[in-house]
Amino acid sequence: MVHLFENHGYKIALDVDSGSVHIVDDLVYELIPQIEKAVEAGKSDAQIAAEFGGGLMDMERKEAVAEILELKNNGVLFSKDEYEAQVAAFTKREAVVKAMCLHIAHACNLGCKYCFAGEGEYYGPCGLMSEEVGKQALDYLVAHSGTRRNLEVDFFGGEPLLNWDVVKALVRYGRELEKKHDKNFRFTLTTNGTLLTDDILEFANQEMSNLVLSIDGRPEVHDRMRPYHNGKGSHEGLVEKYKKAADSRNQTNYYVRGTYTHFNTDFSEDVLYLADQGFEQISVEPVVAPPTEAYALTEEDLPVLLEQYDKLADEMLKRRRAGKPFNFFHFMIDLEGGPCVYKRLSGCGAGCEYVSVTPWGDIYPCHQFVGQPEFLLGNVKDGIKNTELRDEFHNCNVYSKPACKNCFAKYYCSGGCMANSQHFSGNIYGAYEIGCELQRKRIECAIMLKVAESMDAQEEEEN
Amino acid sequence: MKHIKSLNTRDLKKSAKKGGCGECQTSCQSACKTSCTVGNQSCEQLKK
Ligand code: SF4
Ligand code: SF4
Repeated sequence: MVHLFENHGYKIALDVDSGSVHIVDDLVYELIPQIEKAVEAGKSDAQIAAEFGGGLMDMERKEAVAEILELKNNGVLFSKDEYEAQVAAFTKREAVVKAMCLHIAHACNLGCKYCFAGEGEYYGPCGLMSEEVGKQALDYLVAHSGTRRNLEVDFFGGEPLLNWDVVKALVRYGRELEKKHDKNFRFTLTTNGTLLTDDILEFANQEMSNLVLSIDGRPEVHDRMRPYHNGKGSHEGLVEKYKKAADSRNQTNYYVRGTYTHFNTDFSEDVLYLADQGFEQISVEPVVAPPTEAYALTEEDLPVLLEQYDKLADEMLKRRRAGKPFNFFHFMIDLEGGPCVYKRLSGCGAGCEYVSVTPWGDIYPCHQFVGQPEFLLGNVKDGIKNTELRDEFHNCNVYSKPACKNCFAKYYCSGGCMANSQHFSGNIYGAYEIGCELQRKRIECAIMLKVAESMDAQEEEEN
Repeated sequence: MKHIKSLNTRDLKKSAKKGGCGECQTSCQSACKTSCTVGNQSCEQLKK
Protein backbone atom coordinates (compact mmCIF):
# COMPACT_ATOMS: atom_id res chain seq x y z
CA MET A 1 0.00 0.00 0.00
CA VAL A 2 1.25 3.49 -0.84
CA HIS A 3 -0.04 6.57 0.91
CA LEU A 4 0.43 9.74 -1.12
CA PHE A 5 0.01 13.11 0.49
CA GLU A 6 1.03 16.72 0.16
CA ASN A 7 2.10 18.75 3.12
CA HIS A 8 3.93 22.05 3.35
CA GLY A 9 4.55 21.96 -0.39
CA TYR A 10 6.20 18.54 -0.34
CA LYS A 11 4.75 15.63 -2.27
CA ILE A 12 5.35 12.53 -0.24
CA ALA A 13 4.91 8.83 -0.94
CA LEU A 14 4.86 6.64 2.14
CA ASP A 15 5.32 3.01 1.24
CA VAL A 16 3.26 1.81 4.13
CA ASP A 17 4.38 -1.78 4.52
CA SER A 18 8.12 -1.24 4.20
CA GLY A 19 8.07 2.06 6.06
CA SER A 20 9.93 3.85 3.26
CA VAL A 21 9.43 7.55 2.69
CA HIS A 22 9.96 9.09 -0.74
CA ILE A 23 9.83 12.72 -1.79
CA VAL A 24 8.54 12.77 -5.33
CA ASP A 25 7.95 15.28 -8.13
CA ASP A 26 4.60 16.02 -9.78
CA LEU A 27 5.03 13.44 -12.47
CA VAL A 28 5.83 10.58 -10.11
CA TYR A 29 3.04 11.70 -7.80
CA GLU A 30 0.64 11.30 -10.68
CA LEU A 31 2.10 8.01 -11.88
CA ILE A 32 2.29 6.09 -8.61
CA PRO A 33 -1.43 5.32 -8.18
CA GLN A 34 -1.73 4.22 -11.80
CA ILE A 35 1.32 2.01 -11.65
CA GLU A 36 0.22 0.60 -8.31
CA LYS A 37 -2.94 -0.63 -9.97
CA ALA A 38 -0.95 -2.16 -12.81
CA VAL A 39 1.35 -3.92 -10.37
CA GLU A 40 -1.62 -5.27 -8.47
CA ALA A 41 -3.07 -6.51 -11.73
CA GLY A 42 0.12 -8.54 -12.19
CA LYS A 43 1.62 -6.59 -15.08
CA SER A 44 5.34 -7.03 -15.78
CA ASP A 45 7.91 -4.24 -15.68
CA ALA A 46 8.10 -4.26 -19.46
CA GLN A 47 4.35 -3.93 -19.78
CA ILE A 48 4.30 -1.11 -17.26
CA ALA A 49 7.15 0.71 -19.00
CA ALA A 50 5.35 0.41 -22.32
CA GLU A 51 2.00 1.47 -20.95
CA PHE A 52 3.12 4.45 -18.87
CA GLY A 53 6.36 5.50 -20.53
CA GLY A 54 4.67 7.94 -22.94
CA GLY A 55 5.72 8.69 -26.50
CA LEU A 56 9.02 7.82 -28.08
CA MET A 57 10.67 11.11 -27.18
CA ASP A 58 9.13 11.49 -23.74
CA MET A 59 12.35 10.89 -21.84
CA GLU A 60 11.09 12.49 -18.63
CA ARG A 61 8.26 10.05 -18.36
CA LYS A 62 10.40 7.05 -19.22
CA GLU A 63 12.86 8.06 -16.54
CA ALA A 64 10.16 8.55 -13.95
CA VAL A 65 8.63 5.15 -14.69
CA ALA A 66 12.08 3.52 -14.53
CA GLU A 67 12.71 5.10 -11.14
CA ILE A 68 9.39 3.88 -9.80
CA LEU A 69 10.11 0.36 -11.01
CA GLU A 70 13.54 0.46 -9.47
CA LEU A 71 12.06 1.29 -6.06
CA LYS A 72 9.52 -1.45 -6.50
CA ASN A 73 12.23 -3.99 -7.25
CA ASN A 74 14.21 -2.83 -4.22
CA GLY A 75 11.21 -3.60 -2.04
CA VAL A 76 10.62 -0.01 -1.01
CA LEU A 77 7.53 0.75 -3.09
CA PHE A 78 4.29 -1.23 -3.52
CA SER A 79 5.38 -3.60 -0.78
CA LYS A 80 2.82 -5.82 0.86
CA ASP A 81 1.70 -6.44 4.42
CA GLU A 82 3.12 -9.88 5.05
CA TYR A 83 3.10 -9.71 8.81
CA GLU A 84 -0.33 -10.94 9.82
CA ALA A 85 0.67 -14.54 10.48
CA GLN A 86 3.85 -13.49 12.25
CA VAL A 87 2.03 -11.03 14.46
CA ALA A 88 -0.58 -13.67 15.31
CA ALA A 89 2.18 -16.03 16.40
CA PHE A 90 3.83 -13.22 18.30
CA THR A 91 0.73 -12.28 20.25
CA LYS A 92 0.22 -15.93 21.16
CA ARG A 93 3.37 -15.81 23.25
CA GLU A 94 2.63 -15.91 26.92
CA ALA A 95 1.69 -12.50 28.18
CA VAL A 96 4.25 -10.90 30.44
CA VAL A 97 3.74 -7.70 32.36
CA LYS A 98 6.37 -5.04 31.87
CA ALA A 99 4.68 -1.78 32.68
CA MET A 100 2.56 -0.75 35.56
CA CYS A 101 0.62 2.33 36.44
CA LEU A 102 0.45 2.68 40.19
CA HIS A 103 -2.50 4.70 41.39
CA ILE A 104 -0.66 5.97 44.39
CA ALA A 105 -3.47 8.26 45.42
CA HIS A 106 -7.10 8.14 44.43
CA ALA A 107 -7.46 11.63 45.66
CA CYS A 108 -6.58 14.93 44.17
CA ASN A 109 -6.32 18.50 45.30
CA LEU A 110 -7.67 19.56 41.91
CA GLY A 111 -10.99 18.73 40.31
CA CYS A 112 -10.10 18.69 36.62
CA LYS A 113 -13.24 18.53 34.55
CA TYR A 114 -12.00 15.95 32.05
CA CYS A 115 -10.35 13.68 34.60
CA PHE A 116 -11.34 10.09 33.81
CA ALA A 117 -11.26 9.70 37.56
CA GLY A 118 -14.35 11.91 37.81
CA GLU A 119 -13.02 15.36 38.76
CA GLY A 120 -10.35 13.69 40.81
CA GLU A 121 -12.82 11.51 42.64
CA TYR A 122 -12.62 8.31 40.60
CA TYR A 123 -15.33 5.74 40.40
CA GLY A 124 -15.30 4.27 43.85
CA PRO A 125 -13.92 5.58 47.11
CA CYS A 126 -10.92 7.83 47.64
CA GLY A 127 -7.82 6.39 49.13
CA LEU A 128 -4.07 6.34 49.33
CA MET A 129 -2.02 3.30 48.40
CA SER A 130 -0.25 1.77 51.37
CA GLU A 131 3.41 0.89 51.20
CA GLU A 132 2.44 -2.73 51.62
CA VAL A 133 0.13 -2.80 48.61
CA GLY A 134 2.70 -0.88 46.57
CA LYS A 135 5.37 -3.43 47.38
CA GLN A 136 3.05 -6.27 46.48
CA ALA A 137 2.41 -4.58 43.17
CA LEU A 138 6.14 -4.29 42.42
CA ASP A 139 6.63 -7.92 43.46
CA TYR A 140 3.81 -8.89 41.14
CA LEU A 141 5.41 -6.97 38.29
CA VAL A 142 8.80 -8.57 38.76
CA ALA A 143 7.29 -12.04 39.15
CA HIS A 144 5.30 -11.72 35.92
CA SER A 145 7.88 -9.95 33.79
CA GLY A 146 9.52 -13.12 32.48
CA THR A 147 12.79 -12.31 30.79
CA ARG A 148 11.96 -8.62 30.26
CA ARG A 149 14.61 -6.50 31.84
CA ASN A 150 13.24 -3.00 31.43
CA LEU A 151 10.23 -2.47 33.63
CA GLU A 152 8.25 0.75 33.66
CA VAL A 153 6.42 2.05 36.66
CA ASP A 154 4.38 5.21 36.54
CA PHE A 155 3.43 6.89 39.78
CA PHE A 156 0.04 8.17 38.93
CA GLY A 157 -3.08 9.41 40.61
CA GLY A 158 -5.17 11.30 41.38
CA GLU A 159 -2.22 13.28 42.51
CA PRO A 160 0.70 11.09 43.60
CA LEU A 161 2.34 13.87 45.59
CA LEU A 162 -0.48 13.49 48.12
CA ASN A 163 1.17 10.20 49.01
CA TRP A 164 4.80 11.12 48.41
CA ASP A 165 6.34 9.12 51.24
CA VAL A 166 4.98 5.92 49.77
CA VAL A 167 6.37 6.88 46.36
CA LYS A 168 9.80 7.29 47.88
CA ALA A 169 9.56 4.01 49.76
CA LEU A 170 8.53 2.19 46.61
CA VAL A 171 11.38 3.63 44.60
CA ARG A 172 13.80 2.38 47.24
CA TYR A 173 12.11 -0.99 47.24
CA GLY A 174 12.27 -1.11 43.45
CA ARG A 175 16.00 -0.48 43.52
CA GLU A 176 16.42 -3.47 45.84
CA LEU A 177 14.34 -5.68 43.57
CA GLU A 178 16.39 -4.54 40.60
CA LYS A 179 19.57 -5.91 42.05
CA LYS A 180 18.03 -9.13 43.23
CA HIS A 181 16.33 -9.96 39.96
CA ASP A 182 18.52 -8.24 37.38
CA LYS A 183 15.84 -5.80 36.27
CA ASN A 184 15.94 -2.17 35.32
CA PHE A 185 13.14 -0.01 36.64
CA ARG A 186 12.21 3.14 34.79
CA PHE A 187 10.11 5.28 37.04
CA THR A 188 7.88 8.09 35.88
CA LEU A 189 6.12 10.64 38.02
CA THR A 190 3.00 12.31 36.67
CA THR A 191 1.91 15.33 38.66
CA ASN A 192 -0.32 18.37 38.53
CA GLY A 193 2.58 20.33 39.95
CA THR A 194 0.72 22.23 42.63
CA LEU A 195 2.56 20.44 45.44
CA LEU A 196 5.94 20.22 43.76
CA THR A 197 8.78 21.37 46.02
CA ASP A 198 12.55 21.56 45.67
CA ASP A 199 13.00 18.42 47.75
CA ILE A 200 10.57 16.46 45.64
CA LEU A 201 12.25 17.70 42.51
CA GLU A 202 15.65 16.67 43.76
CA PHE A 203 14.43 13.16 44.49
CA ALA A 204 12.66 13.00 41.12
CA ASN A 205 15.81 14.09 39.32
CA GLN A 206 17.75 11.31 40.94
CA GLU A 207 15.23 8.55 40.49
CA MET A 208 12.66 9.27 37.81
CA SER A 209 13.48 8.52 34.18
CA ASN A 210 10.66 10.76 33.19
CA LEU A 211 8.73 13.56 34.76
CA VAL A 212 5.32 14.43 33.38
CA LEU A 213 4.09 17.87 34.36
CA SER A 214 0.48 18.71 33.65
CA ILE A 215 -0.40 22.10 32.24
CA ASP A 216 -2.90 22.80 29.49
CA GLY A 217 -1.32 25.92 28.05
CA ARG A 218 -2.68 29.44 28.24
CA PRO A 219 -3.85 30.44 31.72
CA GLU A 220 -7.53 30.83 30.81
CA VAL A 221 -7.60 27.49 29.01
CA HIS A 222 -5.89 25.74 31.88
CA ASP A 223 -7.98 27.32 34.62
CA ARG A 224 -11.23 26.50 32.93
CA MET A 225 -10.55 22.75 33.02
CA ARG A 226 -8.10 22.42 35.91
CA PRO A 227 -9.56 24.17 38.97
CA TYR A 228 -9.10 23.45 42.65
CA HIS A 229 -12.16 22.03 44.35
CA ASN A 230 -13.15 25.55 45.37
CA GLY A 231 -13.29 26.57 41.71
CA LYS A 232 -10.10 28.63 41.63
CA GLY A 233 -7.81 27.92 38.69
CA SER A 234 -4.46 26.18 39.27
CA HIS A 235 -2.31 27.88 36.64
CA GLU A 236 -0.77 30.50 38.85
CA GLY A 237 2.86 29.78 39.67
CA LEU A 238 3.00 26.56 37.63
CA VAL A 239 5.08 27.90 34.77
CA GLU A 240 7.84 29.05 37.11
CA LYS A 241 7.89 25.74 38.94
CA TYR A 242 7.92 23.73 35.78
CA LYS A 243 10.61 25.88 34.22
CA LYS A 244 12.82 25.18 37.17
CA ALA A 245 12.09 21.46 36.89
CA ALA A 246 12.73 21.42 33.15
CA ASP A 247 16.01 23.29 33.45
CA SER A 248 17.16 21.12 36.32
CA ARG A 249 16.72 18.14 33.99
CA ASN A 250 18.62 19.90 31.20
CA GLN A 251 15.42 20.21 29.22
CA THR A 252 15.26 16.45 28.61
CA ASN A 253 13.43 13.47 30.06
CA TYR A 254 10.41 15.47 31.07
CA TYR A 255 7.24 16.67 29.43
CA VAL A 256 4.91 19.49 30.06
CA ARG A 257 1.69 17.98 28.94
CA GLY A 258 -1.78 19.23 28.40
CA THR A 259 -5.11 18.05 27.18
CA TYR A 260 -7.10 19.94 24.61
CA THR A 261 -10.87 19.76 24.46
CA HIS A 262 -13.84 21.13 22.58
CA PHE A 263 -13.25 24.38 24.48
CA ASN A 264 -9.84 25.09 22.98
CA THR A 265 -9.89 23.78 19.45
CA ASP A 266 -7.23 26.43 18.71
CA PHE A 267 -4.81 24.34 20.75
CA SER A 268 -1.78 25.21 18.64
CA GLU A 269 -1.83 28.47 20.58
CA ASP A 270 -1.43 26.51 23.78
CA VAL A 271 1.50 24.56 22.43
CA LEU A 272 3.16 27.77 21.28
CA TYR A 273 2.39 29.41 24.60
CA LEU A 274 4.30 26.62 26.32
CA ALA A 275 7.15 26.89 23.83
CA ASP A 276 7.28 30.64 24.43
CA GLN A 277 7.63 30.03 28.16
CA GLY A 278 10.83 28.16 27.39
CA PHE A 279 9.73 24.53 27.41
CA GLU A 280 11.38 22.28 24.86
CA GLN A 281 9.45 19.05 25.46
CA ILE A 282 5.77 19.58 24.93
CA SER A 283 2.83 17.29 24.62
CA VAL A 284 -0.71 18.51 24.15
CA GLU A 285 -3.27 15.97 23.16
CA PRO A 286 -6.91 15.34 22.46
CA VAL A 287 -9.13 14.55 25.42
CA VAL A 288 -10.40 10.99 25.86
CA ALA A 289 -14.05 11.46 26.77
CA PRO A 290 -17.48 9.98 26.32
CA PRO A 291 -19.36 11.85 23.58
CA THR A 292 -21.98 12.99 26.09
CA GLU A 293 -19.56 15.41 27.79
CA ALA A 294 -19.70 19.07 26.77
CA TYR A 295 -15.92 19.21 26.47
CA ALA A 296 -15.71 16.13 24.20
CA LEU A 297 -14.41 16.76 20.70
CA THR A 298 -17.04 16.69 18.00
CA GLU A 299 -17.23 15.88 14.31
CA GLU A 300 -17.55 19.64 13.64
CA ASP A 301 -14.31 20.34 15.47
CA LEU A 302 -12.39 18.07 13.18
CA PRO A 303 -11.55 20.39 10.25
CA VAL A 304 -10.39 23.04 12.71
CA LEU A 305 -8.21 20.58 14.59
CA LEU A 306 -6.62 19.20 11.43
CA GLU A 307 -5.75 22.71 10.35
CA GLN A 308 -4.27 23.37 13.78
CA TYR A 309 -1.81 20.52 13.35
CA ASP A 310 -0.68 21.91 10.00
CA LYS A 311 -0.32 25.33 11.51
CA LEU A 312 1.71 23.95 14.36
CA ALA A 313 3.95 21.96 12.04
CA ASP A 314 4.60 25.06 9.95
CA GLU A 315 5.48 27.08 13.01
CA MET A 316 7.77 24.36 14.33
CA LEU A 317 9.57 24.27 11.04
CA LYS A 318 10.02 28.02 11.16
CA ARG A 319 11.38 27.89 14.67
CA ARG A 320 13.71 25.03 13.91
CA ARG A 321 15.11 26.91 10.96
CA ALA A 322 15.55 29.94 13.17
CA GLY A 323 17.54 27.86 15.66
CA LYS A 324 14.78 27.76 18.29
CA PRO A 325 13.44 24.23 18.05
CA PHE A 326 11.10 22.48 20.45
CA ASN A 327 9.69 18.97 20.47
CA PHE A 328 6.02 18.31 20.13
CA PHE A 329 5.49 14.79 21.28
CA HIS A 330 2.98 13.79 18.64
CA PHE A 331 5.19 14.99 15.82
CA MET A 332 8.16 12.99 16.95
CA ILE A 333 8.76 9.99 14.82
CA ASP A 334 11.76 7.77 14.67
CA LEU A 335 12.05 6.64 11.08
CA GLU A 336 15.48 5.06 11.36
CA GLY A 337 15.45 3.62 14.87
CA GLY A 338 11.78 3.00 15.54
CA PRO A 339 10.37 -0.24 16.87
CA CYS A 340 10.05 -3.51 14.99
CA VAL A 341 6.80 -4.49 13.29
CA TYR A 342 5.71 -6.65 16.21
CA LYS A 343 5.64 -3.72 18.52
CA ARG A 344 4.03 -1.57 15.86
CA LEU A 345 1.17 -3.92 15.21
CA SER A 346 0.44 -5.42 18.58
CA GLY A 347 -1.32 -2.49 20.23
CA CYS A 348 -0.80 -0.51 23.40
CA GLY A 349 -0.58 -3.58 25.59
CA ALA A 350 -3.28 -2.55 28.04
CA GLY A 351 -4.55 -5.48 30.01
CA CYS A 352 -1.55 -7.69 29.42
CA GLU A 353 1.83 -5.99 29.04
CA TYR A 354 0.58 -2.92 30.83
CA VAL A 355 -1.77 -2.84 33.81
CA SER A 356 -3.02 -0.35 36.36
CA VAL A 357 -3.17 -0.98 40.07
CA THR A 358 -5.55 0.82 42.43
CA PRO A 359 -4.71 1.91 46.00
CA TRP A 360 -6.28 -1.38 47.15
CA GLY A 361 -4.24 -3.52 44.81
CA ASP A 362 -6.95 -4.21 42.25
CA ILE A 363 -5.66 -4.72 38.73
CA TYR A 364 -7.33 -3.10 35.71
CA PRO A 365 -6.31 -3.14 32.04
CA CYS A 366 -5.20 0.49 32.22
CA HIS A 367 -5.86 3.70 34.09
CA GLN A 368 -8.80 4.56 31.83
CA PHE A 369 -10.70 1.47 32.93
CA VAL A 370 -9.98 1.74 36.64
CA GLY A 371 -13.02 1.42 38.87
CA GLN A 372 -15.33 -0.01 36.21
CA PRO A 373 -16.29 -3.36 37.75
CA GLU A 374 -16.72 -5.15 34.43
CA PHE A 375 -13.03 -4.46 33.71
CA LEU A 376 -11.58 -5.75 36.95
CA LEU A 377 -8.85 -8.27 36.13
CA GLY A 378 -7.74 -9.37 39.58
CA ASN A 379 -5.46 -8.05 42.30
CA VAL A 380 -1.79 -7.98 43.11
CA LYS A 381 -2.10 -10.57 45.85
CA ASP A 382 -3.92 -13.30 43.99
CA GLY A 383 -2.95 -12.33 40.46
CA ILE A 384 -5.17 -12.05 37.41
CA LYS A 385 -8.39 -13.96 37.82
CA ASN A 386 -10.37 -12.81 34.83
CA THR A 387 -8.15 -14.40 32.19
CA GLU A 388 -10.90 -14.21 29.60
CA LEU A 389 -10.88 -10.42 29.80
CA ARG A 390 -7.09 -10.39 29.75
CA ASP A 391 -7.11 -12.47 26.57
CA GLU A 392 -9.65 -10.17 25.01
CA PHE A 393 -7.25 -7.27 25.53
CA HIS A 394 -4.27 -9.37 24.55
CA ASN A 395 -5.83 -10.23 21.21
CA CYS A 396 -6.72 -6.68 20.37
CA ASN A 397 -4.30 -5.51 17.70
CA VAL A 398 -4.21 -3.95 14.27
CA TYR A 399 -5.38 -7.14 12.57
CA SER A 400 -8.27 -7.74 14.90
CA LYS A 401 -9.60 -4.21 14.43
CA PRO A 402 -11.40 -4.01 11.11
CA ALA A 403 -10.79 -0.28 10.67
CA CYS A 404 -7.04 -0.55 11.11
CA LYS A 405 -6.19 -3.22 8.60
CA ASN A 406 -6.15 -0.90 5.61
CA CYS A 407 -5.14 2.27 7.39
CA PHE A 408 -1.85 3.80 6.35
CA ALA A 409 -1.18 4.89 9.91
CA LYS A 410 -1.24 1.42 11.40
CA TYR A 411 2.52 1.03 11.80
CA TYR A 412 2.73 4.29 13.72
CA CYS A 413 -0.51 4.19 15.63
CA SER A 414 -0.64 0.52 16.51
CA GLY A 415 -4.41 0.41 16.57
CA GLY A 416 -5.43 3.30 18.73
CA CYS A 417 -6.67 3.55 22.27
CA MET A 418 -8.98 0.79 23.48
CA ALA A 419 -10.52 3.08 26.06
CA ASN A 420 -11.52 5.43 23.26
CA SER A 421 -12.95 2.55 21.28
CA GLN A 422 -14.89 1.46 24.32
CA HIS A 423 -16.29 4.97 24.81
CA PHE A 424 -17.34 5.41 21.22
CA SER A 425 -18.28 2.00 19.93
CA GLY A 426 -19.05 0.10 23.10
CA ASN A 427 -16.26 -2.40 22.64
CA ILE A 428 -12.48 -2.35 22.57
CA TYR A 429 -12.26 -3.58 18.96
CA GLY A 430 -14.18 -0.65 17.54
CA ALA A 431 -12.81 2.53 16.02
CA TYR A 432 -12.99 6.13 17.10
CA GLU A 433 -13.10 8.01 13.83
CA ILE A 434 -12.24 11.47 15.21
CA GLY A 435 -9.21 10.06 16.99
CA CYS A 436 -8.16 8.25 13.83
CA GLU A 437 -8.41 11.36 11.67
CA LEU A 438 -6.27 13.26 14.15
CA GLN A 439 -3.80 10.43 14.35
CA ARG A 440 -3.40 10.26 10.59
CA LYS A 441 -2.88 13.98 10.37
CA ARG A 442 -0.23 13.95 13.09
CA ILE A 443 1.65 11.20 11.32
CA GLU A 444 1.57 13.10 8.04
CA CYS A 445 2.90 16.18 9.80
CA ALA A 446 5.57 14.17 11.57
CA ILE A 447 6.77 12.65 8.31
CA MET A 448 6.69 16.04 6.60
CA LEU A 449 8.93 17.46 9.34
CA LYS A 450 11.43 14.65 8.72
CA VAL A 451 11.27 15.32 5.01
CA ALA A 452 11.89 19.01 5.56
CA GLU A 453 14.79 18.25 7.86
CA SER A 454 16.40 16.05 5.28
CA MET A 455 15.84 18.56 2.47
CA ASP A 456 17.26 21.36 4.60
CA ALA A 457 20.34 19.28 5.36
CA GLN A 458 20.81 18.52 1.70
CA GLU A 459 20.52 22.16 0.77
CA GLU A 460 23.08 23.09 3.37
CA GLU A 461 25.46 20.50 2.02
CA GLU A 462 25.08 21.83 -1.48
CA ASN A 463 25.77 25.41 -0.44
CA MET B 1 17.47 9.60 -8.91
CA LYS B 2 16.03 12.65 -10.57
CA HIS B 3 12.37 12.38 -9.74
CA ILE B 4 12.48 10.71 -6.36
CA LYS B 5 14.47 11.24 -3.21
CA SER B 6 14.21 8.63 -0.49
CA LEU B 7 14.77 9.13 3.23
CA ASN B 8 16.69 6.67 5.35
CA THR B 9 14.14 4.51 7.11
CA ARG B 10 14.23 1.30 9.08
CA ASP B 11 13.18 -1.56 6.82
CA LEU B 12 10.09 -2.98 8.46
CA LYS B 13 10.48 -6.23 6.55
CA LYS B 14 13.86 -6.82 8.11
CA SER B 15 12.56 -5.87 11.53
CA ALA B 16 10.05 -8.71 11.21
CA LYS B 17 12.91 -11.17 10.87
CA LYS B 18 14.71 -10.05 13.99
CA GLY B 19 12.63 -7.94 16.35
CA GLY B 20 10.04 -8.82 18.94
CA CYS B 21 12.23 -8.67 22.05
CA GLY B 22 9.60 -6.61 23.85
CA GLU B 23 12.06 -4.38 25.71
CA CYS B 24 10.91 -1.08 24.27
CA GLN B 25 8.66 1.35 26.07
CA THR B 26 4.93 0.75 26.26
CA SER B 27 2.85 3.06 24.18
CA CYS B 28 -0.27 4.54 25.66
CA GLN B 29 -2.27 7.04 23.64
CA SER B 30 -4.28 8.59 26.38
CA ALA B 31 -3.86 12.28 27.01
CA CYS B 32 -3.17 12.01 30.70
CA LYS B 33 -0.21 9.71 30.10
CA THR B 34 1.64 11.76 27.54
CA SER B 35 0.63 9.38 24.97
CA CYS B 36 3.21 7.76 22.84
CA THR B 37 2.24 6.54 19.50
CA VAL B 38 4.64 3.78 18.62
CA GLY B 39 6.03 5.93 15.85
CA ASN B 40 7.91 8.13 18.26
CA GLN B 41 9.52 5.34 20.21
CA SER B 42 12.89 3.83 19.76
CA CYS B 43 13.99 0.26 19.42
CA GLU B 44 16.04 -0.88 22.42
CA GLN B 45 18.21 -3.11 20.24
CA LEU B 46 19.17 -0.33 17.85
CA LYS B 47 19.94 2.02 20.74
CA LYS B 48 22.79 -0.14 21.92
S1 SF4 C 1 -5.54 5.65 12.95
FE1 SF4 C 1 -7.36 4.50 13.56
S2 SF4 C 1 -7.70 3.06 11.87
FE2 SF4 C 1 -5.60 3.80 11.72
S3 SF4 C 1 -4.37 2.30 12.81
FE3 SF4 C 1 -4.90 3.95 14.26
S4 SF4 C 1 -6.75 3.25 15.28
FE4 SF4 C 1 -6.50 2.00 13.46
S1 SF4 D 1 -6.34 1.62 26.17
FE1 SF4 D 1 -5.88 3.76 25.71
S2 SF4 D 1 -5.56 4.73 27.69
FE2 SF4 D 1 -5.38 2.53 27.99
S3 SF4 D 1 -3.19 2.07 27.76
FE3 SF4 D 1 -4.14 1.74 25.77
S4 SF4 D 1 -3.86 3.68 24.70
FE4 SF4 D 1 -3.55 4.06 26.90
